[in-house]
Amino acid sequence: MTPEQKNVLIDHLDESLRGKATATLEDIIGNDPEGEKEWNYLRLAVDAVREAGLYQEVSAARTAWKAESGIAAKSATAKSATETTTAAATNTTAKVRSLYRVSLRAAAVILIITASTAVYRYLSVSSGSLYERYYSGYNLSTTRGAGDTDPVMEAYHAKDWTAVRRLAATAKNRTNQTDFLAGMACLEQKQYDEAISHFEQIIAVNTHAGTDLYQDEAEYYLAISWLAHRNVNEAMPILEKIRADQHHKYHEKVEKMSFFDLRLAQYKENK
Amino acid sequence: MKAEVTYTDAELIEAISEGTDLNRAIQFIYRQHAEATSSFIRHYGGNEQDADDIFQDAVVAFIDVVKKGKFRMESNVRTFLASIAKNCWFNELKKRERAGHRNKQFEMSRPQDEPDVAEHINELERKKQLRDLVDGLGESCRKILLLFYYENMTMREILYHLPYENEQVVRNKKYKCLQQLTALIKDNPAVARQMQEIIK
Repeated sequence: MTPEQKNVLIDHLDESLRGKATATLEDIIGNDPEGEKEWNYLRLAVDAVREAGLYQEVSAARTAWKAESGIAAKSATAKSATETTTAAATNTTAKVRSLYRVSLRAAAVILIITASTAVYRYLSVSSGSLYERYYSGYNLSTTRGAGDTDPVMEAYHAKDWTAVRRLAATAKNRTNQTDFLAGMACLEQKQYDEAISHFEQIIAVNTHAGTDLYQDEAEYYLAISWLAHRNVNEAMPILEKIRADQHHKYHEKVEKMSFFDLRLAQYKENK
Repeated sequence: MKAEVTYTDAELIEAISEGTDLNRAIQFIYRQHAEATSSFIRHYGGNEQDADDIFQDAVVAFIDVVKKGKFRMESNVRTFLASIAKNCWFNELKKRERAGHRNKQFEMSRPQDEPDVAEHINELERKKQLRDLVDGLGESCRKILLLFYYENMTMREILYHLPYENEQVVRNKKYKCLQQLTALIKDNPAVARQMQEIIK
């Protein structure tokens, strides 16, 4: 094909892409296999350009996201480093104590008991069992808006979980409270994927609006939902964050959790 | 302050399909899903850069699938992105020839109800080859083609962005650039063959 013929094909391609083509491809190339081949190469080239454009746009969003989350990530890393140091220091102290305070016989007995306990724990611990251990429903009446006439709240009070989800889904003004109650209703009905979506939605809304409505509740129950979902890997960072934050509404509750068991469940799941 | 938008899965699919505000949709995907997916990659031996690269590939694949109308709503967006990312990482580990032990871990941790994304993963590799060809064009050609075919600008609009004398000069330059790109594709038979199959 001559360069001029190729340019005619390019014009036709551009017009087609923008919905302005007045002729058909057959009008231009007839039954010329060379023309058809060139046409396919041109389409492929345009696909390549569009692919590169999309990749560039996603790359820009990635850069923006990294910049936004940079400060939060640094803070989390610092907390994690502090925790690791503290844990290491505690372990060292415990080992030193055992050397000085425990006799060989007592140590043997302790070892047997510890080993038995460890075996029992290893066999019995899982994210599912941890969920069963730590899950307790959210009592709306004692914490928020008693006497409110919101239909979603009324349904929640009545423990009509199906109605809560239905009303939340059709609510005209969807708020973090709507999402939270819908998430809890999903959790009660063992619809863990949906519960996770609701709680993540609240966190996303707060992050970007600079608010904290139902933030603590959403974080805690998101972690619980991940346990129910048998994905302790997702739950752990959230629980560790809550444990590190003394002002978190669920800090005490999380501090009472056995992180040993959680890590054991994590180990089993990742094995 | 820039207005932040949130989407349900259905709204997100619609926004991407229509392409009217793709940038916001992509930003939402990052805010909503990047951290969870990245932590998975890091958990399985990837560093932060790996996690970012893999998630970026997953987002591109997801948008491609949605734009082609191939996204099935029975798997939610998060699950789909996670599956793509996991499989990409699995392939990457294989490439790095240290898949052995981790490979086993990965297989065990993959839920059986995950969507089948093998087809999309293969396509990712082919598309990377295509992007490399566009990157090999040189900056001025790359820009003019992106403005015309990705941003859908007219010749007149492109004049505001690039230092050309008039629309005809832009048009001539674009002809040359597109032909240059097709020549690169022709010189790369593996890409040409694979992509012709996709076009069919």
